[in-house]
Amino acid sequence: MHAVTFFYKTHGWQTKMLRFLARKIPSVMVVALISSMIAFILPRFAPGDPAVAIAGSEATPEQLAAVRAELGLDQPLVLQYWDWLAGVFQGDLGMSLITKRPVSELILSGLESTLELTLLATILMITVGLVLGVLGGAKSTGLGRLLLDVVTTIFLATPPFLTGLILIVLLGIVTPILPVSGEVLLSEDFVEGLKYLILPALALAIPQGALVARLLQTTMTAMRNEDFVDLAKAKGVRPGLILRRHVLRNSWGPAVVAIGLRIGDLLAGAIVVEAIFARNGLGSLAVLSVQSRDYFVLQALILGAVIIAVVIQLLCEIILATLDPRIRLEG
Amino acid sequence: MTTSVQKTSWRTNPTLIRYALAFQSSKGMAALALVFAITSVALLAPVLFPQGYDFQTRNALVGPSWQHPFGTDEIGRDLMVRAIYGLRTDLGLIFTAVPLSMAIGTILGLLGIISRRLGDWVQRGLDVIAGFPGLILGICIVIVVGTGWLALFIAITIAGLPSFGRLARATLLTQMNREYVIAAMTLGVSKWKIMIRHILPQAAETIIAQGAVFVVAAVFIEAALSIVGLGLQPPEPSLGTLLNIGMLYVTLTPMYVIGPTVILIILALAFSLLADALNEAVNQR
Repeated sequence: MHAVTFFYKTHGWQTKMLRFLARKIPSVMVVALISSMIAFILPRFAPGDPAVAIAGSEATPEQLAAVRAELGLDQPLVLQYWDWLAGVFQGDLGMSLITKRPVSELILSGLESTLELTLLATILMITVGLVLGVLGGAKSTGLGRLLLDVVTTIFLATPPFLTGLILIVLLGIVTPILPVSGEVLLSEDFVEGLKYLILPALALAIPQGALVARLLQTTMTAMRNEDFVDLAKAKGVRPGLILRRHVLRNSWGPAVVAIGLRIGDLLAGAIVVEAIFARNGLGSLAVLSVQSRDYFVLQALILGAVIIAVVIQLLCEIILATLDPRIRLEG
Repeated sequence: MTTSVQKTSWRTNPTLIRYALAFQSSKGMAALALVFAITSVALLAPVLFPQGYDFQTRNALVGPSWQHPFGTDEIGRDLMVRAIYGLRTDLGLIFTAVPLSMAIGTILGLLGIISRRLGDWVQRGLDVIAGFPGLILGICIVIVVGTGWLALFIAITIAGLPSFGRLARATLLTQMNREYVIAAMTLGVSKWKIMIRHILPQAAETIIAQGAVFVVAAVFIEAALSIVGLGLQPPEPSLGTLLNIGMLYVTLTPMYVIGPTVILIILALAFSLLADALNEAVNQR
């Protein structure tokens, strides 16, 4: 760890971090603001009038106007946007147009399910990625290597929904060992919940894990051609030690970035996987809201998704900078 | 101003020769045979199954048999016939949306010839599109235009723009610095002529290979959007909508899901092989 401690001591790590954040935060805020505008305006392009959807198609113009006034939809757009944004900062995301329940309540009810799914999927993704990647990056030849390459390529080429379908057929129907549809929350029954969670989490994790693996493998292969590896070889260091001390340690950085970037894709993939496995998470909520044109739910979900993506990216940059002293936080 | 540019007939066109070579490898032959088989089954569907995808038998949700290799659906329609008509829908969508995406993407990528700054801005715009993870882009489009064929068409077209645009731009940037282009410019050949004669054909090579790659992605976009219920709406079958309904009956008749999945995999495999063969041929120099 001498490289990292060197970095801590001589560069004033905390000040660097603060300065880095001070430089990054404004651009993050701008992205968040623009995405809030998009989140607000996008559902309003949707065909159909939500007032008609609520009041029914036989409603008189007066009734429609009353519904619009009640929802604030008769106000100018800028004012509506402002009201919504002010509400968001106070934790009030508005009311669902269809279910008439607060949006925050709807989101909370789906949050646990989606969090469980993405958390397990992230763990599995990292496991799959590191195992396949390190095995692939370690120097080996012959049948094992060929098999590994084939497996990684197949995993890589299969999107989450297809992986999900194949898993359902193989592990749910041909050999029925795991449930294929529905969910039990971990907080209700941990063991039973885990059974329901394994297949969807695997479906999400495998394609993304393969991406991480492929990247790690490429980095390690490149590292093995570096001069310091030749030097270590010349010194007579054992191959296993070269792999761990020299090749792997220098390959973590890109892998961490890849993992971070994949988490955003995991969240997006949850939409399809939740639909396939009939789970009631945020993904299902999003699909339902698109189908029923539920403005306020959609706005909140889009905003949340973008902000999570931006925060993850920022975290990745920070982790990367702490892992690799060559990348300075002042960039 | 006349410059003597050597006219090449299609017989001696190096690009065409390279593509022709692509199909002489076993991989290329297999890909071509698979794509041909899939396309002809889809095209001939009304001839092979004249009763159409809505023909109902008396037996609902029966398993596979000689008469119905994939079994029947919840109201007794033959699932293999529906899957093949679904394939037809998918191919119809892909063979219109992907070429359009290739054309628009190429134009956007080559816009950089007008001015460096314009090219940079276009590239930034394409990066934003590329930044949307997975299905989110498709869902945003469904929000705006509603579910249906048009949404899928637009979603596939837009999703392809970043990759095609980037390839076209890369060719433009590298070729503009090559000696022969600089020489031609010094001689007074117009930018546009250089673009049409030299850059466009070079870009087309890689873009066509990328087109085959993107077909697979397009199949998956259709399937993913349809599985969650935001794709085509009944009664018209597509591979994704079959899977959407099939998921409800997967424990009763697994073939409802397995059949369309297998066709989906064959379709993806065929175009992956094709893309591989084309890429190898393009990169051979």
